[in-house]
Amino acid sequence: MPNNTKLNIPENIMSWIKKGQVKMKPKWYFVLGSLAMIGGFLGLTIVSIFLVSLITFSLRTHGPMGAIRYEQLLSSFPWWAPIIAIVGLGFGIWMLKKYDFSYKKNFLLIIIGFISAVLLAGLLINYLGIDNVWMKRGPMREFYRQYDGEGMKRGAGWRMMQDDDYNNKDLPLIRRQ
Amino acid sequence: MLKSIRMEDLKKLTDEQVVDYVRTKDQESYLEIVLRYQDKLMRYANSLTRDEQKSADIVQNSFIKAFVNLNSFNTKMKFSSWIYRIVHNEAMNEFVKHKNEIPMLEDMDFASSEDVAADFDKKETQERVRKCLSEIPLLYSEPLSLFFLEEKSYEEISDILRLPIGTVGTRINRAKILMKKICQTIQN
Repeated sequence: MPNNTKLNIPENIMSWIKKGQVKMKPKWYFVLGSLAMIGGFLGLTIVSIFLVSLITFSLRTHGPMGAIRYEQLLSSFPWWAPIIAIVGLGFGIWMLKKYDFSYKKNFLLIIIGFISAVLLAGLLINYLGIDNVWMKRGPMREFYRQYDGEGMKRGAGWRMMQDDDYNNKDLPLIRRQ
Repeated sequence: MLKSIRMEDLKKLTDEQVVDYVRTKDQESYLEIVLRYQDKLMRYANSLTRDEQKSADIVQNSFIKAFVNLNSFNTKMKFSSWIYRIVHNEAMNEFVKHKNEIPMLEDMDFASSEDVAADFDKKETQERVRKCLSEIPLLYSEPLSLFFLEEKSYEEISDILRLPIGTVGTRINRAKILMKKICQTIQN
């Protein structure tokens, strides 16, 4: 049996090739695949950078986290952003692993370098104030406004501060003092 | 007649040149690749599965996959590493499909010692490798069989298994130690 199977391999393969049952994929298929992979990787990296900058932007525009501001921050913070950023980074790392160099170099260093570069680029956007420019003009204007200080108006803390009844009330604790 | 002359000429070409010829001129020349690698790949697949019939299936599927994806092969690389990699992947897929039938990868770890490994002479070891290989976990037996039986370099093994060269060296050294322990137990 082993000898038969061994002898049949070339015969089987060549008959399938001749009959056209086994076909070679064209070169453009792989070129397109590589381009899609590179495009996907770059896209995920850009989205991750953007989301990191959005997170830092949202934290910055809310100011320091005092007790009252904490609730405001919770209500308007874009929680989907870190989740998508982490998923994006995960996919990016998975894609990096597909490349030949990934096992030839120290892959842990590549991952650390990649994540650091994404975080640094996101923070740099925030530091240079590019996100402020996006908030004031351009297609991202409305989007950014949701997550700046304006966004916190949706929170209960903000509503309390705006409530006239609440503001006009004599606070018993203060009056006693 | 023309066909046989061409086949003779093909024999003089390197693997990479034959691949280039198959891709650009004549797909039927793929037979040369199959003939060159059939025995080597059967031996390699057999060292993984320890089952002649399954090995034949794996090798056949690997040749088909290699042909289908031949245009993705970079002729600047080594063809042998590429096709061995395909067989490795096919064997791993087979393991996943038949978890209970075929020995799975076992992650055994223990302290390494370079001195013990140095005792092994390559030719002497080859015979012992064949006898004891089946007793060693696949994690270590695979790089060892590639090194001793298939006579691949560390770099080629690194390309086949997609492991850093340092890891290949460590696994081979550990495999030698493990093999020595197991073989001594068998002999006793």
